[in-house]
Amino acid sequence: MTDRLTQLQEAVDQLTNQFIACFYFLERHHDLEPFGPSDKIPDLKPEQQKEVDSLPPEVFQAGMLELARDLILKEQQIELLISSLPGLENNEQDQLKMMRDLEEELKVAEAQRLEAIKEKEEVLAKLDQVLRMIRRY
Amino acid sequence: MPVSREEGKLTPLYPDPPYFWKAHTPENIERYNALKQAYADDKGLDVADVARVPEVPEDLCYLNPPAEPADGKWRLFGQQLSLEDELQSLEAAGIERLGTAGDGADADGRHVDRALELKRLAKSLLLNYLELTRVMGNNPSQGEAKVLDIKTILLNMHHRINEYRPHQAREQLIQLMQESLDSKRAETATIRNAVDKANRVLTGLASIEIPEFEKKETVSESAKTQRDLLEKRLSELWDQIDERFS
Repeated sequence: MTDRLTQLQEAVDQLTNQFIACFYFLERHHDLEPFGPSDKIPDLKPEQQKEVDSLPPEVFQAGMLELARDLILKEQQIELLISSLPGLENNEQDQLKMMRDLEEELKVAEAQRLEAIKEKEEVLAKLDQVLRMIRRY
Repeated sequence: MPVSREEGKLTPLYPDPPYFWKAHTPENIERYNALKQAYADDKGLDVADVARVPEVPEDLCYLNPPAEPADGKWRLFGQQLSLEDELQSLEAAGIERLGTAGDGADADGRHVDRALELKRLAKSLLLNYLELTRVMGNNPSQGEAKVLDIKTILLNMHHRINEYRPHQAREQLIQLMQESLDSKRAETATIRNAVDKANRVLTGLASIEIPEFEKKETVSESAKTQRDLLEKRLSELWDQIDERFS
């Protein structure tokens, strides 16, 4: 998983791609309408490449609705990502202070860890000794 | 101290080594290292941190890395690079800045505004797209201006996100440190637990060992052979255990 900023940037890019995809859908599948009384829709021969692949009105409407819904969803996703950007409430000084504190705590924790390991080794040695004693007898 | 190369020679199959290769004699390297050490001691630094000794004798100049460029800029593979790795500002890239100028931080250096501005940009992006579809439906020749608007908004969004990156990097570092602290503490706790358990076992062993020790003295002769057999088996068992845990 990438960090949130990258996710946000990707979401913005995806939104842009969706824009283009929507245009493609509209441009490709719209219905043909005469503008004036003199216009008429030419009858194409079967072998001719069709400029527009008209869909039935209800399918076209449904497609538009779906695309619009996707756009809104992506927009909401972007806004959610913006809201969840980490550490909006911290400024640089706060961050540096937190880092210093954490560094100190890390040092203490490391010392404790080493101490515990030492203790463990001592107990191990003791245990070993006891086992040897048992064996001897 | 560049040495002028002799002209008019036949071109060899392989190129000559760089003309400064003769400077790297063991004595010179040793002298340079001594200089470096002296410089580090003088400045109170660790030798490993010294990248360059400012003043060296002329015959050692090839052992010293070159100084940083004075104006902070250099070229690499035909590309202009600078020492300060800065994000190019929108104005410098010739793009109109939308919303408030500055880095979006308020007096405390907080970034609440930045999220708000990003949201505003995202909303106007969608609105502009809606307008674009309308314009394209009515008069496609006028669509270009709207497309340019959308482009400006998108570039602004990306720029704002990138401005936020240093902040995010620090934030992630904090998170990482916190995680490593937690894991260290957990490890310590586990070790302590194991030690406690082992200690308890030891005290338990100590309490039962003594009566057995006395029993050994009072064992009767008739049971001796039986005990020998038992002991033999026990020692075999111990050998096996040792083998497995060694």
